[in-house]
Amino acid sequence: MSSDERTGLYVESTIIMTTVRLVAPFVLTFALFVMFHGANSPGGGFQGGVIAGSVVMMLAFAYGIDAAREWLDVRVVAALASGGVLTFAAIGLGTIVLGGNFLEYHLYEQFISHVVAYAIELVELAIGGIVASVAIGLFFLLAAGFGHAVDSPEGES
Amino acid sequence: MTPTEWAIVALALVGAFFGGVASIGIVRLPDVYTRAHAASKSDTLGAVLSIAAAAFAIQTDLATIKAVFLLVFMFLTNPTAAHAIARAAQDQGIEPWTVGDEEGES
Repeated sequence: MSSDERTGLYVESTIIMTTVRLVAPFVLTFALFVMFHGANSPGGGFQGGVIAGSVVMMLAFAYGIDAAREWLDVRVVAALASGGVLTFAAIGLGTIVLGGNFLEYHLYEQFISHVVAYAIELVELAIGGIVASVAIGLFFLLAAGFGHAVDSPEGES
Repeated sequence: MTPTEWAIVALALVGAFFGGVASIGIVRLPDVYTRAHAASKSDTLGAVLSIAAAAFAIQTDLATIKAVFLLVFMFLTNPTAAHAIARAAQDQGIEPWTVGDEEGES
């Protein structure tokens, strides 16, 4: 993709931008809805995370991929993924520290009441963050093309 | 049958008709622009009418509200997606089909 004549020539479409601006908050709300309902209905962290990641893809389609990449720093995406892993691991390993099995939520009951529900939702949120950020990262990597180095996505042209 | 049931049947039938029109259009029309036209207009109308029939048929409150949300967003996003596809096709320099072109050429 080096010095392709199509790079930088992207012109925003008013129709797509308006629709995305209108729909994006609802999609993000729906993503959280799916994540929080994973415990007792179809859905969960994986599906909700993919929906949340699709919001960023939608913004990239409307405003241009380079603009989306500048808006969403890659460190934010990486922090979301690693923060999700750390949250999941902390909740899971904390029960082992308390003398139980991995993710044996009710051992936290001595500190907080109804902790099983909260812990399940927190784990779903963590999984959702991981899935969303990995989907966003894969999308940005694919959109960058195969022509240049992965470690400098803004380095071309 | 009650008037509501008649309305459900009518909406579902008309929705299925427009869905069929959209399917025939996608198969039969010659190029990407005319196919996007078929896929956006009549497919949206078919899907929206079918969901409206479902919203009338599901008599529980929450599910009806969900169906109405689905209807609204289908109405918003489906034509926008077709617009984006047509825009991308024009961006790639695809020439629209005209009457002079040979049948089954493209």
